[in-house]
Amino acid sequence: VARGRTGVTASVLAMGDPAAAAVPRRVDVLALSAAYFTVGVTVSVAVVGIGTPAWLTLLVAVTAYSATSELAFVAVMAAGGSLPAALVSGWLVASRFGLLATSLGLRLSAPPAERAAAALVSVDPNVALAIAQPDAPAVRTVYWRVSAWLVGGWVSGSVVGVVLGNVLGDPRTWGLDAVFPAALLAIVSGLLRRRDAALTAVVGAGLCLALIPLVPAGLPILVAVSGAVLGLAVAPRPVRGSGL
Amino acid sequence: VSLLAVVLLSIGTAAQRLAGMFLLGRFLEDRPGLARLAELIPVAIIAAVIAQLTLARGQTLVVDARLFGLGVAAVLVARRLPLVVVVVGAAVATGGLRALT
Repeated sequence: VARGRTGVTASVLAMGDPAAAAVPRRVDVLALSAAYFTVGVTVSVAVVGIGTPAWLTLLVAVTAYSATSELAFVAVMAAGGSLPAALVSGWLVASRFGLLATSLGLRLSAPPAERAAAALVSVDPNVALAIAQPDAPAVRTVYWRVSAWLVGGWVSGSVVGVVLGNVLGDPRTWGLDAVFPAALLAIVSGLLRRRDAALTAVVGAGLCLALIPLVPAGLPILVAVSGAVLGLAVAPRPVRGSGL
Repeated sequence: VSLLAVVLLSIGTAAQRLAGMFLLGRFLEDRPGLARLAELIPVAIIAAVIAQLTLARGQTLVVDARLFGLGVAAVLVARRLPLVVVVVGAAVATGGLRALT
């Protein structure tokens, strides 16, 4: 029904894997699973790093199922911000998943319980690959096949991350503190090739940096949200030379 | 981090996903501006988090090995290398520079 209507769907897809062609190849699905494994390790090391017990780290990995929300939350807490500020950052980042679930919801035909389950595991690659399918049954099969691999990678990565986090100790020794921003950059890189998103990112980062010395921890990240309003003023065209 | 924090964070993410699946489809389709805003908000926050993780130490801004690591990550991302390569590259660059200086 919704195919061809852009609005919600088309641009969100830029965040996922660009190779959203017909039926995803096994090797691509495995590569995505490996990427989720890596992010799972990274995020759980970060969560353990702020003094979270192992069981809670695993619980939040499985129930929130959002690397970016967890990292935003951790960043605010680690900087000494308040719990409400950290929660709001985490929630705002998760609005991305609301949009992805919306895109999927417009294409997925299944009973309500299955749709609910599908919504809870929606992330960029599974939604992108599923809604690229030509018909409803294919959307459903591809979605669940890819989701299973992603969840498997993510959960096993999280387990490894919890163990590693406790073994490694101070993340700085191994350069692991640089891993979190690097992983985030890789996750948003698809969108950053769009002019409105690139401007939003620059303004958001600039505002945050300018405010860090001035206001209590946690606030700079929340104020950075206003960068999104500026981004709206720019047409969502590709950045020149980005090849998209 | 408490159990309460974990529960609240998870409820927030789950609620947005369920709202997207069951409520927002038609609503957002008719309001492309709102959909784009909802899409840009995470970008702003993620960029701010990247900036803070890379340049802040408490309430002061410092340039150190982390910025080099992020630079290396940016080059690897621009070349569209797999995430594993980006993450390991950033860690090696940052840890390496720290060991040298």
